[in-house]
Amino acid sequence: MAEKKMKRPIGSLRPDVDDILSWNDLPENAFEPASTEEKESFIQDRESVSYWKDAWRRLKKNKVAMVAMVIVILIGLFAFVGPFIVPYSYDQVISGANNIHPWHYSLEDQAKISAYIEEHTGTANLSPDEAVAQAEAEAAARGETLSAVDAAKIRAAAKANQGKGEENVTQDDAVKALGIKAKPFGYTNAELERMAAGESVFPHVFGCDTQGRDIMVRTMIGARVSMIVGICCAVIVLVIGALYGSISGYCGGKVDAVMQRIVEVIYTIPEVLVILLMGSTLKPILEEFQNSGDGPLQNLVTLLGANLISIFLTFGLLYWVTMSRLIRGQILQLKQQEYVTAARALGAEGGRIIKRHLLPNCIGQIVTTTFLQIPSAIFTESFLSFLGMGVSAPMTSLGSMCSDALGGLNTYPYRLFIPAAILSLMILCLNLFGDGLRDALDPRLKK
Amino acid sequence: MTKYVLKRVLMAVITLFVVICLTFFLMNAVPGTPWLSEKTPSEATIAALNEKYGLDKPLIVQLGKYLENLAHLDFGNSIKMQKDRPVLEIILTMFPISASIGAIAILWAILVGVPLGCLAAYRRGTWVDSLLRVICTIGISMPGFVIATMLLHAFTGGIEGLKFFPTIFQQGTAKSYVLPCLALGFYPMCYLSRQTRTAMLDAINQEYIKTARAKGLRNKTIIFKHALRNALIPVITYLGPQIAFTLCGGFVVETVFTIPGLGRYFVSSISNRDYPLIMGTTIFLAAFIIVMNLIVDLLYKLVDPRINLAKGGE
Repeated sequence: MAEKKMKRPIGSLRPDVDDILSWNDLPENAFEPASTEEKESFIQDRESVSYWKDAWRRLKKNKVAMVAMVIVILIGLFAFVGPFIVPYSYDQVISGANNIHPWHYSLEDQAKISAYIEEHTGTANLSPDEAVAQAEAEAAARGETLSAVDAAKIRAAAKANQGKGEENVTQDDAVKALGIKAKPFGYTNAELERMAAGESVFPHVFGCDTQGRDIMVRTMIGARVSMIVGICCAVIVLVIGALYGSISGYCGGKVDAVMQRIVEVIYTIPEVLVILLMGSTLKPILEEFQNSGDGPLQNLVTLLGANLISIFLTFGLLYWVTMSRLIRGQILQLKQQEYVTAARALGAEGGRIIKRHLLPNCIGQIVTTTFLQIPSAIFTESFLSFLGMGVSAPMTSLGSMCSDALGGLNTYPYRLFIPAAILSLMILCLNLFGDGLRDALDPRLKK
Repeated sequence: MTKYVLKRVLMAVITLFVVICLTFFLMNAVPGTPWLSEKTPSEATIAALNEKYGLDKPLIVQLGKYLENLAHLDFGNSIKMQKDRPVLEIILTMFPISASIGAIAILWAILVGVPLGCLAAYRRGTWVDSLLRVICTIGISMPGFVIATMLLHAFTGGIEGLKFFPTIFQQGTAKSYVLPCLALGFYPMCYLSRQTRTAMLDAINQEYIKTARAKGLRNKTIIFKHALRNALIPVITYLGPQIAFTLCGGFVVETVFTIPGLGRYFVSSISNRDYPLIMGTTIFLAAFIIVMNLIVDLLYKLVDPRINLAKGGE
């Protein structure tokens, strides 16, 4: 049939009589379903590649993005699976574990150390006054004077140390003189004794904080909070931004003008100021609401925590603007396309056109922008928590762990470095993976 | 042009108004009063205090009164943190500290970031480019407080032999400024250098660069006179809000280095519920940022005459 059609003079409006007549000559089985064999031969040599498969193929080639993805997955496992493996909980105060380092000395070594100290200092400990005098002498040797605040700190530390044989000002000297090597992971003395008795005890890998809480579990929970905040905020931004942007772009005219003025106002609001303000004001409001009754809404707030909800709200209210602008721009371009006109001619309604035709066509950009929202949300959350306006005690987040660590920075620097490193690594890898995702989903952007 | 400027100014005023209202209602929605302290004052005292500061009237009346005073540049008096001292006076004593640190920070960020971006674009694909890319990506992934605390730890005695700078900020001593400015400017520096690199690559591939090359111009002239000028437009877009924000005080940097600046004061005024102080600092900072954005938007026209402002400036 196809050959016959070719014979027709091009441009002729005359019906092809031969062709119409030949319709009657169709074989009898012409309308029977095709056999599998016929279907097979119809399939092309190469498998068809869908958009997502194609993107995945490009993404796999991007080594940096793949490494970043693996690290993000590892951090995710650390944050979500870790707390189930470690037998401690984030707010559990372990007795005798205050300020233990992520290393320990075995019981015999500890005995040696205290014997050494006893031998060399006469008394096991300096009295508070002696400690201050010694510190003053040291300061004078450096040519400085000891401030009253520092003196008070030393006095308090010496008082706290009195009666504790192994935690002494000169412990480090004793360790050096005896040539004892510290063993990895922290254990309390009670735990060391239990271990000596043959029990297996889970170590405090990163040590414990001032109140005797396991730092590793707290880091896990903190990373979990960060990830939850990142993902939820990205979803909120996506939903609001996509709805607002697509409606504004599709409707156009006066609706668009009004909606865009609102966007412009929100866009020019200094966001950090408002975030700080909202972060600190919404929390008590929500807490009051939570305590006001026992309805389903109150229970929901209790379940998620007033802190997290206030962060979500802040993000939801401010950050959707960029997303909505992007989607509006895309929609404005796409809505001029023929297939939209065709869909409209077929009687499709606005909602259907947006959902079925417009949004799928800018999916690449939407996915990328949503994904890159995650690290930026984590960034902001840690900033809020650091200033003491994010999640509140006993719940923790990486940002608030960092600010807690500021107090004893010189003695316990790892308390700052561990959460800070995980936080930075997480944001870095999410950023790198997001960049890879953008290159993979939108090859036009790549140069 | 005039129409555009008027439109933008109107927009800025509306935004500021929105910020004022938002701050006002949010602040008042918080449970608790400014009078809460260790010993709870009696009901009668609270009522008297509320009456004295006009907090007993309906919110809308309070807002109206506040706006009216604001029109005369009267920000009211602090009611808690520095009792009865005019808010404007407090702001004006603290802003210069924040602004001086911010100005130095943004200056070094520009002076280092833009040339580094040019270098990366010029040596595209070499190890210089890769190295700069790694540094900048890490730089924009590290929250400000991480950089600030690391610097604080390393250079104020945490590492043996590296105690170069004082732990406590002292106004007027040059040494105190080094670390805060370094910490505050690091993020903008990395961001700027990334932006400059992209913009420069864009510009270098343009036809007029080929023409300039064909004319036999020197490389230096091409890069700095032809390419960089065109590459600066996206950079300026970023700089506007960033300058304003940095000048107003890195909240984090001021907290970490205990600098008595506006940013730190803003944070503590919120937790102290000092209403007039919160309003005052928010309005001041917001107005500053909004005005800076406006100026940058208008500057576009000067930098790139091709931009047609009347059509939305895009």
